Amino acid sequence: MSKLVDESAPTRVLYVQTHGADTPGRTATPFFLATAAAAMDMEAAIYFTMNGPTALKKGVPESLHIKSEGRGQVLRFFIDQAVDMGVKLYVCQPSLDLHDLCIDDLIDGVEMIGGAAFNQMAVEADAVVAF
Amino acid sequence: MATELVADRTLDCTGMLCPVPIVKLSKAIKEIQPGQSILLLATDPGSQPDMQAWQRRTKNEVTVMKPEGKTFRFFIRRTA
Repeated sequence: MSKLVDESAPTRVLYVQTHGADTPGRTATPFFLATAAAAMDMEAAIYFTMNGPTALKKGVPESLHIKSEGRGQVLRFFIDQAVDMGVKLYVCQPSLDLHDLCIDDLIDGVEMIGGAAFNQMAVEADAVVAF
Repeated sequence: MATELVADRTLDCTGMLCPVPIVKLSKAIKEIQPGQSILLLATDPGSQPDMQAWQRRTKNEVTVMKPEGKTFRFFIRRTA
């Protein structure tokens, strides 16, 4: 099977975040990396699944300090930086259900997608990085 | 080499950590015209490999200049 290669198409990186509010130290890195990718003129997206969406619950990013014992920046800073650079944020419905959340419980700017859409994104991305 | 390059503007990213310098550079490069240049100052030890990766990806021209003390200096020219 041949694949048409569009030289002008941007490079895409998809990050998968499975960690959430219970592990603050694991929440910021996907935002750092996606922000850096966007700064390199790549298209970057983060897909939040398993515990990932818990860090995006309204009110949580503002109080979630990346370092232990309330030190360091709060997650909100890194989310804003990423979104400002054009990083797209996606969640999957079953992982919201896992935590009894719905999309309206999350911060603005997060889009809900399903498993099929995620798989399509993954095969169309140039790289998929999972955390 | 390239010690006398004069940039159109200076972007001071000293004291800032990854990914802030390349985020600021990404924004600043869009504000200048092709052919114009930016002198980026950074103290992040990761900034040199980052600038080189950024150059390979964006095709803009990055010249690594002699550091001044602990400050890394990069001369960046917008190519297109």
